[in-house]
Amino acid sequence: MARVGVFICYCGANIGGTINIDKVLEAAKKMPMVAFVDANKYTCSEPGQLSVRDAIVKNRLNRVVIGNCSPRMHENTFRKTVAQAGLNPYLLEIANLREHCSWVHGNNKDSATDKAIELVRMAVAKVGRDEALFPKRFGLTKRALVIGGGIAGIQAALDIANSGHEVVLVEREPTVGGRMAQLDKTFPTLDCSACILTPKMVDVAQHPKITLLTCAEVEEVKGFVGNFEVKIKQKARYVDLKKCTACGDCTKGCPVEVPSEFNMELGKRKAIYIPFPQAVPNKFVIDKRETPPCKTTCPIHMDVQGYLALIANGKFKEAYELIRRTNTLPSVLGRVCYHPCEQACKRGYVDQPLSICSLKRFASDQYDIDSLPVPEITKTGKRVAVIGAGPAGLTAAHDLALAGHQVTIFEALPEPGGMVRVGIPEYRMPRDILSKDIQYIQKLGVEIITNARVGEKPKLVELQKLFDAILMASGAHNSLKLNVPGEESEGVFHGVDFLRAVNLGQKADIGQRVAVIGGGNTAIDAARVARRLGSTVTIVYRRGRDEMPANETEILAAEEEGIEIMLLAAPTKVIAEGGKVKAIECVRMKLGTPDASGRPRPEPIAGSEFKLDVDTVIPALGQAPNLVFAKDLNVAVSGKGTVKVDEASLATNIQGVFACGDAVTGPLMVVDAMASGRKAAGSIDAYLKGEPLPTTAEPKAEAKKPSEEEIEALKEEYPEMPRLKMAEMPAEKRIKSFAEVELGFTPEQAQEEAKRCLACGVCSECRECERLCQAGAIDHSMKDEVLTYQIGSIVVATGYKTSDPKAYGEFGYGRLPDVVTGLQLERLLSASGPTSGEVLRPSDGKHPHTVVFISCVGSRDELKGHAYCSKFCCMYMAKQAIMLKEHDPHVQCYIFYIDIRAGGKDFDEFSRRAQQEYGTLWLRGRVSKLYQDGDKVMVCGEDSLIGRPVEIAADLVVLATAAEPNEGAAHLAQTLKVSYDTNNFFIEAHPKLRPVETQTDGIFLAGSCVGPRDIPESVAQGGAAAAKVAALFSQEFLTSDPMVSSIDQAKCSGCLLCQDVCPFSAIESQKLRDGRTVSVTNESLCKGCGLCVAACRFGAANLRGFTQQQLLAEVVSLWQ
Amino acid sequence: MAIEFQPRIVGFLCNWCSYAGADMAGTSRITYPTNIRIIRVPCSGRVDPLLIVKSFQMGADGVLIAGCHPGDCHYTEGNYYARRRFALLKPFLDYLGIESARFRVEWVSASEGKRWSQVVTSFTNDLTKLGPRKALAPEATR
Repeated sequence: MARVGVFICYCGANIGGTINIDKVLEAAKKMPMVAFVDANKYTCSEPGQLSVRDAIVKNRLNRVVIGNCSPRMHENTFRKTVAQAGLNPYLLEIANLREHCSWVHGNNKDSATDKAIELVRMAVAKVGRDEALFPKRFGLTKRALVIGGGIAGIQAALDIANSGHEVVLVEREPTVGGRMAQLDKTFPTLDCSACILTPKMVDVAQHPKITLLTCAEVEEVKGFVGNFEVKIKQKARYVDLKKCTACGDCTKGCPVEVPSEFNMELGKRKAIYIPFPQAVPNKFVIDKRETPPCKTTCPIHMDVQGYLALIANGKFKEAYELIRRTNTLPSVLGRVCYHPCEQACKRGYVDQPLSICSLKRFASDQYDIDSLPVPEITKTGKRVAVIGAGPAGLTAAHDLALAGHQVTIFEALPEPGGMVRVGIPEYRMPRDILSKDIQYIQKLGVEIITNARVGEKPKLVELQKLFDAILMASGAHNSLKLNVPGEESEGVFHGVDFLRAVNLGQKADIGQRVAVIGGGNTAIDAARVARRLGSTVTIVYRRGRDEMPANETEILAAEEEGIEIMLLAAPTKVIAEGGKVKAIECVRMKLGTPDASGRPRPEPIAGSEFKLDVDTVIPALGQAPNLVFAKDLNVAVSGKGTVKVDEASLATNIQGVFACGDAVTGPLMVVDAMASGRKAAGSIDAYLKGEPLPTTAEPKAEAKKPSEEEIEALKEEYPEMPRLKMAEMPAEKRIKSFAEVELGFTPEQAQEEAKRCLACGVCSECRECERLCQAGAIDHSMKDEVLTYQIGSIVVATGYKTSDPKAYGEFGYGRLPDVVTGLQLERLLSASGPTSGEVLRPSDGKHPHTVVFISCVGSRDELKGHAYCSKFCCMYMAKQAIMLKEHDPHVQCYIFYIDIRAGGKDFDEFSRRAQQEYGTLWLRGRVSKLYQDGDKVMVCGEDSLIGRPVEIAADLVVLATAAEPNEGAAHLAQTLKVSYDTNNFFIEAHPKLRPVETQTDGIFLAGSCVGPRDIPESVAQGGAAAAKVAALFSQEFLTSDPMVSSIDQAKCSGCLLCQDVCPFSAIESQKLRDGRTVSVTNESLCKGCGLCVAACRFGAANLRGFTQQQLLAEVVSLWQ
Repeated sequence: MAIEFQPRIVGFLCNWCSYAGADMAGTSRITYPTNIRIIRVPCSGRVDPLLIVKSFQMGADGVLIAGCHPGDCHYTEGNYYARRRFALLKPFLDYLGIESARFRVEWVSASEGKRWSQVVTSFTNDLTKLGPRKALAPEATR
């Protein structure tokens, strides 16, 4: 039988001033189950609580309703009160008569009183159905996590560690120190910021109980107070912290420079850097962003950005060595590659892509490959036969030789080089340069036997007996037929055969009037060769210009050389006279729907036939492999006439026999063949070592297209600078010889062109740092790691950043060079800054004499910025004005202000000192506009105290920007499930009484992540949070919230829907003895959200403290 | 003098965001109409459609559910379930004979005191315009 006691609180005048307490008491007396009513002026005070306790005992009450302030305020207080009276603390309900009633209905007292009565009635109905609840105990891990290594986090970590508990301090940047490390001097003492901060930074790094993780971020937090499981992503530094001595040799050689974040983009830093000299840990870090698109799209994944950076810095030898790491035929690719890297180059979105291919050629031309040393190789004793000395076979042979295997290449033609030698004309690929590249490969111990056609002599079966592995790299040299009548006539000379004959110095008789059929590189090559032999040439292609597969530069070069390109036409018949070609009959084509290759299908236009008078026809329609010899070993061949291989390992169906290059894929580009050869070499090496072959194929290399915003940002940052055009032999001269057409860059041109690189990946992996580091501390293969920690309590101290004043266009930030932010001025003042402590104007490097400060740029502005005040700007402007005068006694500072906020200890005196001793002039008024006049920045403002406009000719203008939470604060709040407000600041449990706690047990806050705070406040809060953590850890066990879910197994149908919806996986299934499967709640995991209750259709799930019966009773009570 | 119709609104507010937001309206002394009666629940996902329908059955002129903004739920996912459930429930109310405009779901965060007052004011005004509930069939009440 419930005996409810109702206690209404006046709360002084807060409730009593609006609500008629007597009326409420009268009504409460009549409510069901109510046995006692009373009112109190301040129920939460000591006498108030005592009266409640006495009433409970005297009146044998077994349920209590208090009508007072929000339960979020004092529910816990009164649970204790009720417990002291001997009652279970959960037999209590609060009616919120203040925040939800008197305080919001002050203008309607009668209605507020009626509402108060109903709120009490609801609470009585609920409390009648309260049951006694008993919290459980659980253990806790006494290890704290501090997120953020600024001054607040450092202080918290030190205080927690000094109280005897372990701390993990996680900092996102490579060093601790936060904003305070960027400051020059601090107000009001004018202490040197680094001098007072660095001892603490060092303490934190050296403290035996603190684990310091830098370049690390919290990824996931699971669990609850005392029992959190935290996953932290430790990003790769690429520098071994144990080996690095911070000597700085690496950074001297690094060719990549980017704006320095620590210096607020006023200076530069290298890709391998230490943020500032006193950084802790005092170790270098490499800034590696995503793999640049050039490297991703390159089939052999060259370190493109790397060698471009080295060329830009004049390090041509190092560039060549870097190129050789991935490229066995750099002089070849530098001339003939189709450069997919250039299509992906991000510079192409700004103006034009880098001339990567030509720069690679430049680097190869600088170095005489004959002087390249041959590395020491340990032989394995295994022998590999490679069939074909084309780019695929040569690359594979090179890699296998370096791995220690004995390689013999069998080449059918009289010269090695494959299609590069016999397909590509000499004016594109000089013979001697190709030979040098091949000779180096032979120096590695590779044997090349020419004029050895496998299938005739030697036979494939013999090779299988003599060698441990065979690689088929025979390419695709068979020309595809035209398939028109008259094709066998004399004068029809297939392109591939024609080029081979010319390249090998054999007889290649062609007529005066040549028609080349086809639009690919072979067709263009054949056409340009024929031109050089003195013929008039017409290229006949069946599709349009855009569909021609040949390199655009090649097509242009052909046109320059006087070759006519006839588009949308195809031959139907070769007309011969006396067995010799006299003419070809062609038909006009039109473009239809796209075919399998994605290109529009050409369709003949009926009745449009015409004749072309020619004496030579050179079909160049494509190539196919010649795999007749494969039959000897029954190597499987596909329907398309290529070798069938496993995609991941390039192994054929015969053990020990592999295939790569055009023989597998059909005709592709040189670089594709090289990538294939490299892949095959890897598989063969594994096979010969008895290791398993690769089973997963590499995903197709595709660089993401940058987003619209990224392109806009790039265009803003980089001025347009078109790509350098390489010098070429003039057309009339070059058709008379086979001399190389492209003449190459000069060293100055190459450096200028290479400097256009945007350094997309920042670190270009040029490996200079690795080469220069004598301690061997650089490791480019490091990977990000995920570390897991068991944590008992978390302190969030993620700090702030300053806002971007670009929203205030009238202040010209970003447009006028001498307009800087407060933090930028701080870096200029700082001895470790970009100007070594000399305050110099960004525009001309001169000392400023008139400096104007503008307050509240982004703060106190509901319309364009933040509504709040950033608290410390008034003080730092005064400090900076003093420091400027200290640096230069002739400086005059003006500060445009709205108010001067100098509330802290000694702050007002400091501010006045800036006025009186240092002559700073404070002008009360806003600034409407800044504009450039000569070398001055004109500041147009107002002095509202004299009511006049003011114009000042400033040398330097400083904007006091707003303090905002750091990037990622909202995301961290969501990860921790902690509240945050519309400004992304974390919300404390109570702004007055609980400033370092959150509503979530075990998670505490310190510093500017809660709101703009200065250093003394941040330090104090760090200590306060540490005290909370220490208090938590002083307990041997914690008690759980007993308001958890419970499943009535009699009603449970076993649908397990509750299990699906539970966010904490707190519901498990249980098999009963009668065979039924039902749900059961794991009370230590349950957080009491009640999702299971709402999901259960059988009424089996219920939530203690908020049962279905209780909530229903509250609703029903409103109509009693 | 005509007695102005005063709608009776039942509100289910989640403890972590919207209830705190309503508290914030109180601490900031922002006034709003008195028509709403707030029932505290741990999460907007706790609210069973049964409670909403029962409220209408009993005679409520309007029912308001308030929870954390999507992405900010203290229990991670509760408000997503609430969102889906009430998206289904709303058109179903019309089918039951209750104008679905009388049922509203709002997301109010712990710092949004002003917004809470605006939500209640706007809902009260809209319900006043809609007028009193058309009664359900007599046997349906109770």
